Amino acid sequence: MFKYLRFSVVVVALAVSGIVPAGPLGIGSTATPEMIAGWDIDIRPDGVGLPPGQGSVAEGELLYEAKCASCHGLFGEGEGRWPVLAGGEGTLDTLHPEKTVGSYWPYASTLWDYIYRAMPYTAPQSLSNEEVYSIAAYVLYLNDIVEEDFVSNKETFTQVKMPNEENFFIDNRPDVQNGRCFENCADPSTFKIVTTINGVTPTGHFKEDSGVAANHYEGNPSAASGSELRIEKSVTKVALSKEALLGRGVYDKACQTCHNSGIAGAPKLGDVSGWVDRIGQGMDTLNDHAINGYQGADGVMPAKGGNMALSDDDVVNAVAYMVEASR
Amino acid sequence: MSKLYEPSLPKLMEAIATEAKDMRAMDRRNFLKGGIAAVAGLSSVQMIPKANASANLPPSLPEWQRHLGPGVVAKPYGDPSEFEDLQRRTVPWLTVDAASSISMTPLQDLDGIITPSGVVFERYHGGIPNVNPDQHRLIIHGLVERPLVLTMDDLRRFPSVSQIRFIECPANGGMEWRGAQMEALQFTHGMLACCEWTGVKLSTLLEEVGVKPEGKWILAEGADAAGMSRSIPLKKALDDTIIAWGQNGEALRPEQGYPLRMLNPGWEGNTSVKWLRRLEIGDQPWHHREETSKYTDLMPDGRSRRFTWVMETNSVITSPCPENPLKQPGFLEIRGLAWSGRGRIKAVDVSLDGGVNWHRTELGELVIPKALTQFSLKTQWNGQPWLLQSRAIDETGYVQPTLKQLRDERGGWSIYHKNSIHTWNVTETGDVYNVQIS
Repeated sequence: MFKYLRFSVVVVALAVSGIVPAGPLGIGSTATPEMIAGWDIDIRPDGVGLPPGQGSVAEGELLYEAKCASCHGLFGEGEGRWPVLAGGEGTLDTLHPEKTVGSYWPYASTLWDYIYRAMPYTAPQSLSNEEVYSIAAYVLYLNDIVEEDFVSNKETFTQVKMPNEENFFIDNRPDVQNGRCFENCADPSTFKIVTTINGVTPTGHFKEDSGVAANHYEGNPSAASGSELRIEKSVTKVALSKEALLGRGVYDKACQTCHNSGIAGAPKLGDVSGWVDRIGQGMDTLNDHAINGYQGADGVMPAKGGNMALSDDDVVNAVAYMVEASR
Repeated sequence: MSKLYEPSLPKLMEAIATEAKDMRAMDRRNFLKGGIAAVAGLSSVQMIPKANASANLPPSLPEWQRHLGPGVVAKPYGDPSEFEDLQRRTVPWLTVDAASSISMTPLQDLDGIITPSGVVFERYHGGIPNVNPDQHRLIIHGLVERPLVLTMDDLRRFPSVSQIRFIECPANGGMEWRGAQMEALQFTHGMLACCEWTGVKLSTLLEEVGVKPEGKWILAEGADAAGMSRSIPLKKALDDTIIAWGQNGEALRPEQGYPLRMLNPGWEGNTSVKWLRRLEIGDQPWHHREETSKYTDLMPDGRSRRFTWVMETNSVITSPCPENPLKQPGFLEIRGLAWSGRGRIKAVDVSLDGGVNWHRTELGELVIPKALTQFSLKTQWNGQPWLLQSRAIDETGYVQPTLKQLRDERGGWSIYHKNSIHTWNVTETGDVYNVQIS
C-alpha cells in the first residue's frame, strides 16, 4: 500500500510538470507470433523467409500454362504488352534492352517473393508454397538458369545464382554537374530543335469540345525562328520534313481514325515495331499501297483510306508523316 | 433545405426544355450536367443560360444575382464549380491495365503549392484496396524488442506532425528520354503532387518497439493486391519518414493509401508505400521486385543503379505551357514550380532563348524543404518566339542539369529520374509546344 502511494505521487508529479516518461509510451498491443506468421510473407536473397515445401520444373510447366501463360506467353515471351519473362540475354547494353527475369533480375528470391505476393495478377496470394516453388522453377528453366530436372526447395532455390547479379551497383548520383551561367551560356547556332511526335498524347483537354482520346490540337509546332533569338538554323533542322508537316493535316482528317487506334490491322502512328518492316519495303511500295489499296496478312488498307477526294500528293504526304513519326 | 429554394420538378423540366431550345451543341454537355444536379435537388437556381452570356455582363445585372442561391449544406462535401474541368488524366498506351497504371496531376490548372487531394496523381500496382479502417492493422516486427500490432486509434495517440512535402513518381518525364513526345504539361510533369501530410514520425514508432542493434533496414508492405513492398534503410526512417493518416486536413484519400501510408519525403514516390500494413525490421535489404526488376536504372554499359531513392532537383514552367498558351501581348508573369528531394530550393532561373541567357526569378513566400516551391518572372511578351526554360538550384548547390548532360551520362534509354531542364517553344501566335534542344 505504501509503495503504491509513492508510485502514484511520482506519476502525478510527472503529469503536472508535463514531462513524458522516457521509453515506450505503452500504446498498442503485442503482435503475437501467430499474427506475424500470417502476414510475414517476404523472402530475401539469403533464403530467409523461404518456407518448407518443394516443386519441380515439370510440375511448374503445367501450373504455368494454366495460370500464367495467358498473360506471359507459353515461353515467357509475353502476350500483347504483358511482361516478358524470358530471353533478352545480351541486350542490356544495346539500344533495345530487354529486361527479363533471366537477363535482368539479380536474385531468384525476388521471383519467389513476387509470385507468392502478387501473382496471378487477378488472384494474389492464392498459390500454395508448393505451387510457387514449381512455377518459380519453371520460369528459371525458361531462362536456361536451371536444368529440366531441377527440383526447388529452400536449399536448392537459395543456391540459384542469377547471371546479372554482379551488374547492379549502389546509386552514385549526383552524376552530372551543371553550372549556373547567366550570359552567353550556349551557342544558339548549334541548336537543333526537336518537336513532339503528334498523335500519341491524349490532349483532349486542350479543346473544350474534344473528348477524343489521342486527339491533338491543331497548329504547327515549328521550331522557334525569331531573329532576336539568332537561331534561324533551327528551322531547317526540325524533326519532320516539309512533306510530313503537310501530311499531318491530311492524317488528322483522313487517316487517324484507323491509324491512331490500330483498327483493321492498321499500324499505329508512333508504333516503331509495327512500322519497321513496312518502312523497310521502301517509300514507293508504301505510297503505292496507300494510294491504290492493299490487302495484307494483318488487315486491309483501302485505296486512299477510302477517301477518294484526296489527291495522290495528299496521300504521299500523309505517308511521309506517319513514317517519320513512327521510326 | 428551405421550401423557397426547392423547385417543383415540372417547373424545372420546363426550364430545361426552354433552355435546350436555343442551346448550342457545344454547351449541351455542361448544361445537362447542371440540369442533372438540379434534378438531384442540389440546386436549380444556379443554372445559367450560357447561350446568352452577354446578359450577365456589365451593365446588365447577372442572372445569379437576381435570386437567392442554395443555402448551407446543400452539398455537405463540396465539389469544384461546375465551370471547372479539373481532372487527372492518363496516357492509355503507357500501361497494359488500369489497375497497374498511372495518372497525372493537372499541374496546368493549379495554383500555389498544395495539390488538391482529388487530383493527386495515382500510381497503383494492383488497384485501390477498399480498406475498412476499423479492421486495418499495422504490424511492426522483426529485429525489435516489442513487436506491436497497432489500430488506427492507437496510431492517432502518438505524438503527431503535419508537414508539406512533395511526392513524385521517378518515372515523371520518363516518356521524354528518347525525344519530346508528350504535348502537354500534365503528361510531361504530372506525376507530381504536394500535400500537407499528418501522421506520426516513424522514429517515434521505432522507439516504441525498440529496434535491436543489428536492425538496419525496414521492409514496408502495403495491403493492396500487389502487396507493394520496398526496403527502406533505418537511417532514412530515423531521419524524416512519416507514417501518415492525414492529407490536406482530412483523412488520406483511398487513392493515396487510406487509411495509412508511409511517406519518405524527397524519395521516389513508390517507396512511400500506401495502405501500409506491415513494417519488418531486418539486417539487410530484401531486393524485392519493385527495387530490382523495376525502379532500377539501366546504364548504357548494361550495368544498373539500384536504390536510386532521391528525386533530384527539378523545375518546370506551368504558365505559359501547352495547355495555357499566351492569348495577348503585353505584361506577363511567367510562373512555375521547383522542387528538390535533397532539401530547400535556393533559386530558380528562367531563360527565354533556350538557355543562352538566364534571369533570376522571385521565389514564392513558402520555401519548404522537399516541397513544391513557386517561382515567377515578370516580363513582357510582344509576339516574339521564345524557347522558355527554367533551371532550379537547391540548398546543396546542385544545379538542375540539361537533358544533354543526362543523356551523355545515362544514355537515351533510361526510364526513371529525368530531372533535366525543360523547354517550351512559345511561337509568334502564343501557342506553346514541348520541344527539346540538342
